[in-house]
Amino acid sequence: MNARTLRLQAYPALLVGTGRQPLGFRSDLAELAQEDATSATLNALSLTAQALRFERPQSPPHFAVEPVVQDQRTIMIDRMRRPLLRLLNNRRTTDDLALAVAWAFDRWKVRPHPFDLPKMDAFVRAHSEHLGVMAQQWAQRRDDSPDSSAQAQGFFVADEMDETTWTGGLPGMRARFIAERRRQDAAAARALVEGVWAQESADMRVRLLAALEAGLDEGDQTFLEGLSKDRAPRVRALSQRLLARLTGRRGEHPALAACLERIKRTTTGLLKKRAALALELPATVKEHEAKGWIREAFAEVSIEELAGALQLTEPQLIEATEKDANLSLALALMAMQDRRFDLLEQLAKGQLSDAWEQLSQCGSLELGMMTADERSRLVGVLIAPYSEKPLASYPAWSWLHHILEGPAPAALLEAVLRTPRWLSELLEESKVGSEWLEMLAALCPSSHRLRLRTLMGNFDAALTHTAAPLLDILDSLEKVGHHE
Amino acid sequence: MLLTLEKVEALAPDQSSLDAARKLLKAGSWPVVASNGSGLIWGECQGSGATPYRVVVSEGDAGYKCTCPSRKFPCKHSLALMWIRVEGKRAFVDAPVPAWVSDWLGRRRGAGTGEAGDSKEEKAKASIAATTSNIAQVESDPKAEARSAALRERNRLEREESILNGLDDVDVWISDQVDRGLAGFAAQATQACRVIAQRMVDAKVSGLATRLESMPARLFSLPESARPAAALEELGLIHLMAQAYRRQEGLPAALKADVRRAIGWAMTRDALLADESATRVRGAWRVVAAISEVQPDRLRRLETWLWLEGLPEGRPDAPRFAALIDFVPVATGAASGGYSVGDRIEAELVFYPSAMPLRAQILQSLSGAQASEAPLELPEQTLDDAYKSYERALCKQPWLGAWPFSIRNARVRRHETQLFLCDGGEGSNVALPLQPSQFADASPLLALAKLDAVGLWDGYRLNLCWAQTELGRWVNA
Repeated sequence: MNARTLRLQAYPALLVGTGRQPLGFRSDLAELAQEDATSATLNALSLTAQALRFERPQSPPHFAVEPVVQDQRTIMIDRMRRPLLRLLNNRRTTDDLALAVAWAFDRWKVRPHPFDLPKMDAFVRAHSEHLGVMAQQWAQRRDDSPDSSAQAQGFFVADEMDETTWTGGLPGMRARFIAERRRQDAAAARALVEGVWAQESADMRVRLLAALEAGLDEGDQTFLEGLSKDRAPRVRALSQRLLARLTGRRGEHPALAACLERIKRTTTGLLKKRAALALELPATVKEHEAKGWIREAFAEVSIEELAGALQLTEPQLIEATEKDANLSLALALMAMQDRRFDLLEQLAKGQLSDAWEQLSQCGSLELGMMTADERSRLVGVLIAPYSEKPLASYPAWSWLHHILEGPAPAALLEAVLRTPRWLSELLEESKVGSEWLEMLAALCPSSHRLRLRTLMGNFDAALTHTAAPLLDILDSLEKVGHHE
Repeated sequence: MLLTLEKVEALAPDQSSLDAARKLLKAGSWPVVASNGSGLIWGECQGSGATPYRVVVSEGDAGYKCTCPSRKFPCKHSLALMWIRVEGKRAFVDAPVPAWVSDWLGRRRGAGTGEAGDSKEEKAKASIAATTSNIAQVESDPKAEARSAALRERNRLEREESILNGLDDVDVWISDQVDRGLAGFAAQATQACRVIAQRMVDAKVSGLATRLESMPARLFSLPESARPAAALEELGLIHLMAQAYRRQEGLPAALKADVRRAIGWAMTRDALLADESATRVRGAWRVVAAISEVQPDRLRRLETWLWLEGLPEGRPDAPRFAALIDFVPVATGAASGGYSVGDRIEAELVFYPSAMPLRAQILQSLSGAQASEAPLELPEQTLDDAYKSYERALCKQPWLGAWPFSIRNARVRRHETQLFLCDGGEGSNVALPLQPSQFADASPLLALAKLDAVGLWDGYRLNLCWAQTELGRWVNA
């Protein structure tokens, strides 16, 4: 009798039940036979169990071939891995904190340690496009899929995209790539878009078309005219707008027409007559919904189009809205979208000195194609009126953070550091004191981190428990980025 | 600094304790914080009552004691004191050890560092004094001693008889299961095992009772197709243990100790320390795994697995792995022991007598636990070699539980949603399936062509605990 005999003879009988299939003590298992049949059965059980224990685990017939992912980014330093995990896995982690970390990874071309990806899974899935190729691959895998590599669409960091690989990236990256390419060579960028146009989804087509907005020239006319029969209404509307801007022809522009219907024009002045404009909100729009309505209504209208339709120059248009806060806000929104920072500055210096607060109340804005320099200029204009006393509204700071996608201009932090009393009072009054410090840490440029740390040293540890490590992590990512 | 923020975090029973401790970091909450300069810190924390809570922490092994009535261990005060120490913002006054701290040290079980060692000496003296006085009393009343010894012996005999009866019952129960067939055993295992486990508790066969009660959970952790064979193995092993217990007088001493422990005879720490034949190994140990599991009896089993960095001179057969096992009530909330994976401890360990010694106690701690980033110097051993060592161990101790593996040049591979640890080369066909719960955490290892690993093999799944890779150390979180 050996292990094989037990496996072949005793094992099936023990599984089926010796009541139905008695063990063959008179044949193969004769060595186990005893006077007491129960003892013999139990001995057979024990020996079979031992035989099974010595069976080696079966190797599968084949193993999966894993996708090879080369991530050129530098891995963050080991010392900061635990603090980062602690920070991201804290149940009170705010969206702004996670974004600050993700944007810092992107800015300094650093990536998380691969072993930490499972431990910060939610963060990686939410911000993979900022975290490098390896993180993108992790975010696209599916635990419940037998073959996770099948889900992978391709992983590219924006810097490494070129004409041959750009179609494999994430939607945001692809649009940014086209916008960047457009600035270098408008015709080549259009050709790339034309090449893939038929295969793209409606959402992607809108993004790509928006990316072509920069550097619009006559060469685009044929392509834009061809879009008049596009399946997606959003694509048709955007192409009409671009075409109108290009040719100067006032085609059908429903959004502009709707806006004009709501603008009441009068004349003012005794010696010198000038136009005065007022925005009449629909009766169904309540006061707290007004800003949202304005954002939606003017989203597809440019300041140039509005001025043209009202037969005013742009400075005249701004002057004409002087007495109407809602219309001034609409102009500020349009100036932002059109990157007309000169007009925005004029508004912020004049009738809309609280433009930062007002704009932040309109909700999040899509500024995907704006470069970092443009965002910085935009914010510089908005914060200028607050150099003496910073704005004490957390949502407004959060909005600013989303606009900047990185540290704020030094002037803003300078204003905060110059007025420590303002901050102390703010933290005393606020129920989310730690979140305020977190926000300041997220927006703090490297030049001011030391001073902010010193300032935070005056506050209770319970207030700085996330802000202090966030500063350390941002510092560390920056150092690693600089070394490369 | 022996304590680290990571360790404080690991010790905390839950996030709310950490949050509560954070609020106590203010200097005003601690009128007194002091240290003896050799790993012992204490302080007084002003709570809501008139008297401040007294907190003492031994940095070497993260031992702690607080006078507050909290049912969480460690409480927020102990965590806060550790945290303050780690942050280093507040100076700890060097002071002589106050009486209440000495008192705690004197009552502590296990080894500490420096001062703790001194106090242990005092404790030993006190014990000797107490023993001497006891002896004096006993000498003065030999009849009482005789009565007491007779009572103990009678109790032992009664328990032996009760155990033998219980083992007969379990054999009958197994026979019934086998008669019905084990293919469907898993389906009714929960109810069936609970009943027989209760019977084993009544018969004072506590070891088998725990094993039987946890059997359904073990079966259900396996794929459905593997459960009948696993049930057969489990029941076969239980019968084997019962038979070994009945014939224990014919077994080698070490195996006899194994079977008595498996059945439920506990060996006290004092008895272990007094056993001069027990294996003792002194050296530098690295913590390679820290496992926390809740048992059916509502006790949390805390296992700390240690790896001996270098074999002692002239002792090539000394155990390389050791397991420190503690049990704490689940209600206390404590979810981890005092050691973190990666810690290095200079200590002398004493092993429980066993055919394959693994479980140990710290006999003497020569240094506190120090966090270390140094890689493990694992011996050249392929997966094949490691598996053979497991088979040899099985021959010596058939009901072996988790067995530690150390493997060089291995790699992790995937088949569908199951990860396997394989040899880095192509020669071997051994592939050990990893615990399914490790799928996500261990997935990043798929990208690596080579790694050195330490894991715990339970006969079905490998719990990968540590991997040394080109990207640094991976540990099971």
